[in-house]
Amino acid sequence: MTGPRIVIRLDENGRIYQPGDKLAGEYRMMAIDRDDIKALEVSVLWFTEGKGDEDLAVHDFRRLSAEDGDWIDPRRPGRFSTTLPNSPLSYDGRIVKVRWCVRVRAFLKRGREVVGQRLFRLGDVPAAKAPPT
Amino acid sequence: MTRTFRYFEKKRGHRRTGSKTLAIVGETVFFTFFLVGGVAGLFALYFMLVVPQWQANTEFVAHRCLVVDKRIGEKEGDDGMLYRPEIQIEYSIQGERFVVWTYDIWTFDPTGGYSAGREENQRILDRFEVGREYVCWYDPQDPSRVVLVRAYRWWLGLLFILPVSFILIGAGRLVYLLLFAGKSAERRSAFAQKAARLAPFEEKGSGAADFPAIPASVNLTDSPGTALAFRLPAAATPSVKLGATIAAAVIWNGIVAWLLVVSVRGHMQGQPDWPLTVFSLVFAAAGLVLVAWAARHAMVATGVGPTLLEISDQPLRPGGQYRLFVSQTGRLRLRCFEVLLVCEEEATYRHGTDTRKELCRVLEQPIFRCDAFDSGRPAPFEASCEVQMPDRAMHSFQSAHNEVNWRFIVRGKISGWPDYERSFPVLVYPSENGKEGK
Repeated sequence: MTGPRIVIRLDENGRIYQPGDKLAGEYRMMAIDRDDIKALEVSVLWFTEGKGDEDLAVHDFRRLSAEDGDWIDPRRPGRFSTTLPNSPLSYDGRIVKVRWCVRVRAFLKRGREVVGQRLFRLGDVPAAKAPPT
Repeated sequence: MTRTFRYFEKKRGHRRTGSKTLAIVGETVFFTFFLVGGVAGLFALYFMLVVPQWQANTEFVAHRCLVVDKRIGEKEGDDGMLYRPEIQIEYSIQGERFVVWTYDIWTFDPTGGYSAGREENQRILDRFEVGREYVCWYDPQDPSRVVLVRAYRWWLGLLFILPVSFILIGAGRLVYLLLFAGKSAERRSAFAQKAARLAPFEEKGSGAADFPAIPASVNLTDSPGTALAFRLPAAATPSVKLGATIAAAVIWNGIVAWLLVVSVRGHMQGQPDWPLTVFSLVFAAAGLVLVAWAARHAMVATGVGPTLLEISDQPLRPGGQYRLFVSQTGRLRLRCFEVLLVCEEEATYRHGTDTRKELCRVLEQPIFRCDAFDSGRPAPFEASCEVQMPDRAMHSFQSAHNEVNWRFIVRGKISGWPDYERSFPVLVYPSENGKEGK
């Protein structure tokens, strides 16, 4: 993979987070020129998967915009940090799934976007079992 | 991953999501048509309805005229004949003689001024006598435009509802697109949350801020119990269900009865309409099913009394232990009475132009069961039991299209009667120590 991409790393890689824990990490932009970037959005969010239409809500959202004078340097890793909320907890249901992730979205020139996403678990709710017959 | 313009985005299950860019362009074009159509309609109505009336009432000049003839103008409408009064008058302006058929300003619109009642129009005509002089008002720009009556038809203003609603829908959606088109889903969500926090009527203390995506507990915890701390509200009371079912049966069978009368009358007059007869019989069969369904509900609602459920604490927590009190009144002999704790997932999704809902029960835990007893007389049946919440259970969850709901279900089986089931929603919060139970 040599195209533009964003890599996200969490400080405590792979661990299960609990409500109130601090989530921190860094993101790196690969193969992206500084002159190409118009804006950058870093979000900690949950979204749903499964049978229903997707719902999404951000817990933490930051936007840097070159037009507004923000300094965006793809050569240097950026850091993020937030305290996780009480809910919703990650859930692997039969038709409803709740996922948490860190998502970094870079807006490039000519309307292009590069998105990097790193899933993590909030809470320790086990997967739902098959429905009783 | 770099994204450029695509006609289709990635596949999601059996569904393929469309291109966002294409969707925005299509939506913009569609709602621009709405807006432009609304504005055009508004202008057309203004010049067709408002301007002529305003001119007749403010700019036309008073004069004397002689009524020389009168008649009822007729036009065939969609629902029968339409009528309007037409009076022929004679008058002179600066030496020039005019003979014109007129009444009000709508007479000069070949399609306007007509109404359904001939008698009402005849009464208007009767007010004018041929050979007598009356006051008229003529247009100084065009003296052949003359009226005998000046008035505003305010009810025509209702026609403006249509273009105005087109403008509101079109402009509203275009403003939304202007604000959110090209913005990421995350940015839109952040904007929506910021707006929600500023909402002036948001209920304080509902716990929504501390526990995002968990429904507010206000309606579930505001009713104290008599035996335990909280009385749980039922999802739908039997009388509401009974009322809805009876209303549906009455409306349906009313329509069926009318169809049957028309059909039978045709047969009696020797002009049978067999398609209508078959159609009516099929509808009548469905009507009988509805009556049977309503009777079943009536039997349950009148034979089985109210079910009360009380709990020692709310909201529930994973791993928590609670006391439950159940009371069942009624005059029927129950074969079996049980209380269950259930957890259900609910997903709402669009399929074409339909919105569909799917339920999936992921937990059904028996709490209490009693076989063969007499519930009603002389005192209601009452029982207490313990509820052990599953460890590490998922909490209640609610978003726009996805939900996880917890509830108690009270189910009864009655000898010789239909079974009944009543539902009592409860809220489950994440455990207080943040570890979802033990």
